[in-house]
Amino acid sequence: MTSAMSAVARVLRCAAVIACLSPAVDGAAWAGAFHRLAGGATLHAQANPARSADPVADLMSKALEAESAGKNREAIDGWRKVIAAGATVPGVLGLERVFSILALEDSLLPTFAAVIPKFPRDAQLRSAQLRTLATVGRDAEAMRAFEEWRDLQPNDVAPYREFARVLLFHNRAAAADTVLRQATAALGNTRALVLEIAQMRAGLGLWQASAEAWREAMIEEPYYESATVFSLQPTPSAARDGVRTELRKPGAPLGAAQALAFLEIAWGSARLGWQVLAPLTPSDTVVSVWRQFVDEAERARAWAATRDALVAINKARPDAATALRGAEISLKADDPTTALMLAREAGNALDATRRLGEVMPTELEALARLGRAREAEQVLAKAAPQLGEEGQRGYARTIAWAWIRAGDVGKARAALVGAPLDAEDAVSGWLSLFEGDLEGARKALRMTESPGQDVISALSLVNRSSQKSAPIAGAAFLSLARGDSAQAARKFEEAAGELSDAASLLFTLAARIETARKADDRAMTLWQKVATLYAEAPEAPEAQLEWARGLKRRGDSAGAREHLEHLILTYPGSALVPQARRELDALRMGTVQ
Amino acid sequence: MARWWMVATCALTVGAGTARAQHLLVPMDDAQANHLKAYGVTFTALVDGVRSEWLLNYRGGSFLLPDVPNLRRAAALAGVTFEAVGPDRVQEMRREISEGNMDAVPLEKAPRIAVYTPPDSPPWDDAVTLALTYAGIKYEKIWDDDVLDTDLSQFDWIHLHHEDFTGQANKLFLGFRDAPWFIQARDRDLAMARTHGLADIPALKKAVADRLRAFVERGGFLFAMCGATETLELALASKGVDIAGPFADGTPMDPDADAKMQWDRSFAMQGARLEFAGGVNSMSDIDGHQVNVAARRQPLGTYTLFGFSAKFDPVATMLVQDHRTVIADYYGVTTSFMRKVLKPGVTVLAHEEGAPWAKYIHGSYGLGSWTYLGGHDPEDPQHNIGAPPTDLALHPNSPGYRLILNNVLFPAAKKKPLKT
Repeated sequence: MTSAMSAVARVLRCAAVIACLSPAVDGAAWAGAFHRLAGGATLHAQANPARSADPVADLMSKALEAESAGKNREAIDGWRKVIAAGATVPGVLGLERVFSILALEDSLLPTFAAVIPKFPRDAQLRSAQLRTLATVGRDAEAMRAFEEWRDLQPNDVAPYREFARVLLFHNRAAAADTVLRQATAALGNTRALVLEIAQMRAGLGLWQASAEAWREAMIEEPYYESATVFSLQPTPSAARDGVRTELRKPGAPLGAAQALAFLEIAWGSARLGWQVLAPLTPSDTVVSVWRQFVDEAERARAWAATRDALVAINKARPDAATALRGAEISLKADDPTTALMLAREAGNALDATRRLGEVMPTELEALARLGRAREAEQVLAKAAPQLGEEGQRGYARTIAWAWIRAGDVGKARAALVGAPLDAEDAVSGWLSLFEGDLEGARKALRMTESPGQDVISALSLVNRSSQKSAPIAGAAFLSLARGDSAQAARKFEEAAGELSDAASLLFTLAARIETARKADDRAMTLWQKVATLYAEAPEAPEAQLEWARGLKRRGDSAGAREHLEHLILTYPGSALVPQARRELDALRMGTVQ
Repeated sequence: MARWWMVATCALTVGAGTARAQHLLVPMDDAQANHLKAYGVTFTALVDGVRSEWLLNYRGGSFLLPDVPNLRRAAALAGVTFEAVGPDRVQEMRREISEGNMDAVPLEKAPRIAVYTPPDSPPWDDAVTLALTYAGIKYEKIWDDDVLDTDLSQFDWIHLHHEDFTGQANKLFLGFRDAPWFIQARDRDLAMARTHGLADIPALKKAVADRLRAFVERGGFLFAMCGATETLELALASKGVDIAGPFADGTPMDPDADAKMQWDRSFAMQGARLEFAGGVNSMSDIDGHQVNVAARRQPLGTYTLFGFSAKFDPVATMLVQDHRTVIADYYGVTTSFMRKVLKPGVTVLAHEEGAPWAKYIHGSYGLGSWTYLGGHDPEDPQHNIGAPPTDLALHPNSPGYRLILNNVLFPAAKKKPLKT
């Protein structure tokens, strides 16, 4: 905004304030002043400095100019002249702004002493006085000023509301509570104070009650959802269920659901947030709320919730951009099935060029992750005329990965012919590992960016063993990549025979898989083996902990306790000791872990 | 009274001079990883019949235990920090203790602990049971039947759950009269009153309060928190006076109740004024914070523990052993005790600087003693009904909870007077 436009905005804002003003100024005079001031602003913007003939408007314009230019002394003088000319409220508000910039708020107090007796019922002046007294720490005087105003207008909500707001602004929630309770007693209901009550309750840590008040506030004023989120975001986790209950009560306005959904994102539980919004019947408003949710959830990297919301939006208001965004997010959410579905839907609605450039990479990536290598090759072949040889080579790695996921190492290698990978590419590393080439895997996998659990397991193995080759272990990882966990567990156990220097790790990998598969008997046998035969190995504390958990699941608390105690006493430096202590306490206290 | 302390301390010093055994020093300053469980380990030593020492004001109120395998194991399992110290180091420590405001107090036997609490209440309903359970200290639960019908001298230490001894259920009828748990508790208490031939719940709770007074008078140790402190005082002082509102016993409060209170029967307070308004959730002007009356509610600050002479005032010193002297305050039905209503003989153990109230007080009555700590849960400042329990595993170094556990060990240190 240019400075001239800024000046116009300021003057118009000021004019708007004046238009709302009350008895501090003569009404008819102000109606004229408003028009003159607005006109003056326009002139100011156009020609600078053709001014109105109205002296009050001119004085205000000058004071505003000085304030905008940072000439505070001049601005103070200007606003004083405005007051002297009869425009008390804008003059006082102007002084309040300038003095607050200079941190000289107490200089305003004599002005209040002069103007309040003249306009004792003026809410703007009274509010400014309360703000100033609270800012300079004159609490007792602020209380007296409030009481004086309240006694003057016993049936008016304004004194209570304004004083409560001032107190809340200064983080004095308990004092605000007292004022609001007085209002309830005096006025009979708190409908007009529901916003302040919500803020006050949040300030006092009364989270559920605050949520209730925010819900009430949003029935009349639906745009308070952002304020609700800001107010309730600090709710401690233990009190969040209460907030959820209030904001989901039957009859709650849409804003309450939206606020709760955003709160859930802020609390790290975006999927719960989407569960709040998902049941809403789609309408333009609801879809708009869903889109806002998508933006917020994506910023929070809550991929699964973002995906779900995009799927719902695409269903309610199908369009290629939403489908494509949904496909990309689905890949981030590790959901290639949905990604493929959405990518193909987007592809059907786009022209060939955009399909090739925007849709196909996502479609191929989804197919690769699903292990649908043949389909991936067909998609690529179909696009071959447009891509050319060079373009096709760019997808060789994706096709190779698709064949790896399909469990065909030979075809993966074949896919890479003509497009050799860097020796340190992760795909090379996995191919080496699957073929039992530990040395090649060792070299390539260590360069993997942001390694997942599978890479960590592989790296643990290749770094633990000094051997160069281990075909059975490679086959175990290949089974895992194919999603055949039962076979993988058996192979890992078998591989312990070929890699004796990593036997405890291989048994542990097998045991972890069996535990995840809920094959408790097999898992317990393996954990016992690690704990007893390899008591000096790094995996021994984990084996003890899992052994204890297995016993606890079988109802053998005494046995579980014995193993937890053994872990704590035998491996005091293990990172699992705090967890073992916690589980030991839970056993002793009979609480659920 | 101070004489036996001096004798005990001298005996210990002489004994230590000839001791060859190694010791375990359980530091209670910032070196300690789990202050709360350290009390449990020391308690285990006492249960095992192993004599220990409480080193008052030495490294936050440390414990000196004999180096026996069972204790090493208990400390390791609990995650309690300990240092193995040889005779030379022990001698050095004793010299340091003798030269400063410190003392070594022998802990003789594990106190028998009872907690006055409804039979079905879970451990996390009350800060004391929570602390005892977390620290691994065994206790028995007692309820009205036990207090009225059994010999309380079988216990050394009784803790009072946040009960309302005026029989008005903390005036919770104002907000919870239709809540199933409230109705259930009221019906249970009324049935109990009738079983004992008493007309109503206020009469039952007053009878219980009287028995507790007799327990202290005969040498017992009483510890109360939250609303149990204030209401026990009111119940004791109101013998023969109706101080319960009509919602509790069907009759209005005696309009002259303030004048008829017999404060010579209470432990700590005198001249307090009762709250006559049934709709105001307050019992009297004893509590400084009045958390449930918005217009009177005072904000939470911090409270400061007083320092006492370890050699001449060991009891008070034991009760304030802590690794922090300034602790964040927390609300309860009764959060604090107005100084203006404290009897002259009451020892203030902690107060809020510049405020007209005390937080933590102690005193003797007959042959026994009592201690009151205001507030409900030291790690849950705004405790609300229905709020989830505090997980002490997240607060193993809580200075507020240490004060509770000081009270548990304190009877182990004191020589028991004969009960009649």
